[in-house]
Amino acid sequence: MLDGVGANLEQYMTLLADRQKLVAANIANADTPGFKTKDIDFQTEFTNALQGIQPNVMEVQGLVVKNDGNNVSLDREARLLAENALRFNIASNLLRGQIHTLRLAIEGGGGSSS
Amino acid sequence: MSLFNSLDVSASGMAAQRTRAEVLVENLANADTTRTPEGGPYRRKDVVFESSATSSPFSSVFQSAIDGQATGVQVSQIVTDSSAPVMRYMPGHPDADKDGFVAMPRVNPAEDMVDLMGASRGYGANVAAMSAIKDMIQRSIDLFR
Repeated sequence: MLDGVGANLEQYMTLLADRQKLVAANIANADTPGFKTKDIDFQTEFTNALQGIQPNVMEVQGLVVKNDGNNVSLDREARLLAENALRFNIASNLLRGQIHTLRLAIEGGGGSSS
Repeated sequence: MSLFNSLDVSASGMAAQRTRAEVLVENLANADTTRTPEGGPYRRKDVVFESSATSSPFSSVFQSAIDGQATGVQVSQIVTDSSAPVMRYMPGHPDADKDGFVAMPRVNPAEDMVDLMGASRGYGANVAAMSAIKDMIQRSIDLFR
């Protein structure tokens, strides 16, 4: 029913949720010796997700490695946490608009939708 | 659902940091303890963090590529310091040896306080992550309205 934009938005939100999980894992392991920051290349993975390909998780290069072999940067993760939440916010608002339109059609445009 | 697993990841981080804080507080409290059940002065303890798979009741059923990669954290062991105690000259102390030296714990309160701040900040970061994820779940639920 929610084809086109709606389906793409769903993929987008799923991918954002997956990325948020990686960010949460990075933050949880901020003090684990030897842990390497993990992330996905969002643009590439989103294009892949639209074709049904599972996301590919990779280790982030170019971060400062601490003495214990851990390279989690809390600033980077905090930024991504906020960014993902905002993107999810936008996507959920857009999807709500789509659902609202669909509901208007179901209810015959009577305007009684809540 | 993936977002609920993310909550498990953050919760594991909070639990690990809390354990770390507990051990650090124990070190601080026992900085001058000269008698222990094992005999001798108190020996400082340190936690070792290890990344681990989070335990969610559904994780084994719905294991996606990301679920396999995203890991929580756990305290793998608590290490007791085995280095020699500090010998302090306190002739009047009941635990002093024949030369008047008392074996005191090798605890540096400044070091532990700084570590405690790190544990507190780490806990806070996990709380922030959990709150952001909770917000995302709430927004998904709001789609039904």
